[in-house]
Amino acid sequence: MAIQTDGIVLNNRRIKPLYFLLEMDCPAIADETKPGQFVMLRTSNDGRPLLRRPFSVYRSYPAHHPEKRKRGHLLILYKMVGQGTRKMAAFKKGEKVNLIGPLGNGFTLPPLPSSARTILIGGGVGMASLSPLNEPLRSGQLSVFIGGKTKDDILCENDFGGGKGSNIFIATEDGSRGKKGTVVTLFLSEMKRFDKNEPYHVYVCGPDEMVKALSKGIKSGKWTIQASMEARMGCGFGACWGCVLKTTDPQTPYQRVCQAGPVFNLREIVWE
Amino acid sequence: MRIKTVQKPDLSVDIGRLKLKNPVMVASGTFGYGREFEDFMALNRLGAVIPKGISLNPMPGNPPPRIFETNGGMINSIGLQNPGLRVFIKEKLPYLKELKTDLIINFFGNTQKEYVRLAGALDGVAGISALEMNVSCPNVKCGGIVFGSDPRMTCRLVSAVRKSTGLPLIVKLSPNVTDITATARGAEDGGADAVSLVNTFRAMAINIYSRKPELGNVIGGLSGPAIKPIAVRMVWEVYRAIKIPVIGIGGIMNGEDAIEFILAGASAVQIGTANLINPGAALEVAEGIKKYLLQAKVNRIRDLIGGFEI
Ligand SMILES: Cc1cc2nc3c(=O)[nH]c(=O)nc-3n(C[C@H](O)[C@H](O)[C@H](O)COP(=O)(O)OP(=O)(O)OC[C@H]3O[C@@H](n4cnc5c(N)ncnc54)[C@H](O)[C@@H]3O)c2cc1C
Ligand SMILES: Cc1cc2nc3c(=O)[nH]c(=O)nc-3n(C[C@H](O)[C@H](O)[C@H](O)COP(=O)(O)O)c2cc1C
Ligand code: FES
Repeated sequence: MAIQTDGIVLNNRRIKPLYFLLEMDCPAIADETKPGQFVMLRTSNDGRPLLRRPFSVYRSYPAHHPEKRKRGHLLILYKMVGQGTRKMAAFKKGEKVNLIGPLGNGFTLPPLPSSARTILIGGGVGMASLSPLNEPLRSGQLSVFIGGKTKDDILCENDFGGGKGSNIFIATEDGSRGKKGTVVTLFLSEMKRFDKNEPYHVYVCGPDEMVKALSKGIKSGKWTIQASMEARMGCGFGACWGCVLKTTDPQTPYQRVCQAGPVFNLREIVWE
Repeated sequence: MRIKTVQKPDLSVDIGRLKLKNPVMVASGTFGYGREFEDFMALNRLGAVIPKGISLNPMPGNPPPRIFETNGGMINSIGLQNPGLRVFIKEKLPYLKELKTDLIINFFGNTQKEYVRLAGALDGVAGISALEMNVSCPNVKCGGIVFGSDPRMTCRLVSAVRKSTGLPLIVKLSPNVTDITATARGAEDGGADAVSLVNTFRAMAINIYSRKPELGNVIGGLSGPAIKPIAVRMVWEVYRAIKIPVIGIGGIMNGEDAIEFILAGASAVQIGTANLINPGAALEVAEGIKKYLLQAKVNRIRDLIGGFEI
């Protein structure tokens, strides 16, 4: 069940030139959130901007979390791109931020997460939604592909590892970190490492062009590929039909990203 | 000892034959099918619920992107996506009719025949308090000219629908006309019990970097606080031009905004875009109205309707 509540800002700091980490105390939402779910955040009360903005939950610490000091905390990793995120960058400790969440379906974990073979592929701030998957997946065989325009867009690389089978690959378009090129090119060039006939679980989040290029590039029928999609959202909770994505659903091709998603089976997305 | 009780203001209003417990309804298309809001608010406290508009046959809607935010508002081009009458009755209505508030069904057609068939089909359905017909749709039989853009076409359409239903009939007017009082009169002459206004204003936005439209459909409808002053003016003009009740819509975010519409002549109001931002908005508007009445020492909201002085 989604709720509308205030989070209290505990910390809001710049981690890269354009990226910020917002930590809030919000036990009601933190208790309920699964990897891949999001919140609708009211960036301002003065109508500028008017609509809420969607953000993946980067970390949530429920009431039973072993790290006592973190219990009830909810974290968002965001990129400053426009009016709303600029307002967020000015959030101060102690400030109240109105949230609706947790929203959306979230990722489906493999039947036996701790021994599964999984691949994560993220571009830019898309890593924010993939990062929570490290926790359930790291004890299996986990490969992580991280991409961005420059080295300042490579996020979350230190969130992974700690598992015996973890492997991290990095690509930047300008070549300032890792392999030069897009994360998709990098992944496709490394794809032979992963047996097409094994049931790999692939999780993807990034700009539409990236997801589309992957969709064209990955041919295996044995892999399940889940993609977390973005859309402009009016409400985030299913009321406006503003956030649709075209799917293969015969009855209702235009599905709401906020309800049916944000995570879709890659093969069910229709690219125009 | 005598305790002086504070009078609870009377919020009930009449929209013709339709009696509402308070004047705050939620506008079609901004409140889903009601259920989307149950986590956030007590739906039963609303004056009325108006679910997303329905058509005879399913409508796929427009290609994305479907919304774009502008200063003080948003442009939407949802394209009236809906599953059609049959699925609506089977899957959405059972929940809606259990609500302990009035249910007003918003509907539209591509031809006059479709409007008439829909109104007729809804007439016999239990649990519906009234119908609201959206006339801001293109008439496919008349070269796509919008029904509600022409007073005579509006009148003809309303009188045809009027004959097929005994339910109170609200006509939701398009603001994309030179003289909204003319179409309001058309609706009144056609036999409407009330008019509601306004629907969204045709609008568009261009991304100057890609030089492409911001909406998949290029053109959409503007709603939100940006349209409020125009909507207030239109409500006032229509209030003076016709005898049937007027329902005010457009950019209402709080109780003060609602009072402004009521003073301009609205008997009730609908909350649209505000629901998306704050799912509890409509109930907060009702609270705001109550507070205003207490402060202004007005006992009944109906005494305020059209109470604006020049
Ligand atoms: C389910 C979901 C989860 C998301 N998670 C995150 C996250 O964890 N961290 C994060 O930084 N961002 C995330 N986003 C994107 C984020 O919502 C947008 O960046 C934000 O709404 C921009 O708001 P703004 O007011 O700053 O920008 P605006 O002024 O609205 O727009 C500025 C620029 O950003 C672009 N933009 C706006 N909205 C989006 C969008 N939804 N997707 C892509 N580009 C957009 C606009 O086209 C424009 O070029 C997520 C989006 C969705 C739908
Ligand atoms: C996302 C969205 C969808 C809408 N869908 C409908 C609809 O299906 N039928 C209709 O009559 N009006 C529809 N409207 C118009 C609203 O009911 C309302 O008239 C308009 O938004 C103005 O009110 P507001 O400024 O309070 O939003 C829609 C508006 C929005 C924003
Ligand atoms: S954002 Fe409103 S329905 Fe998805």
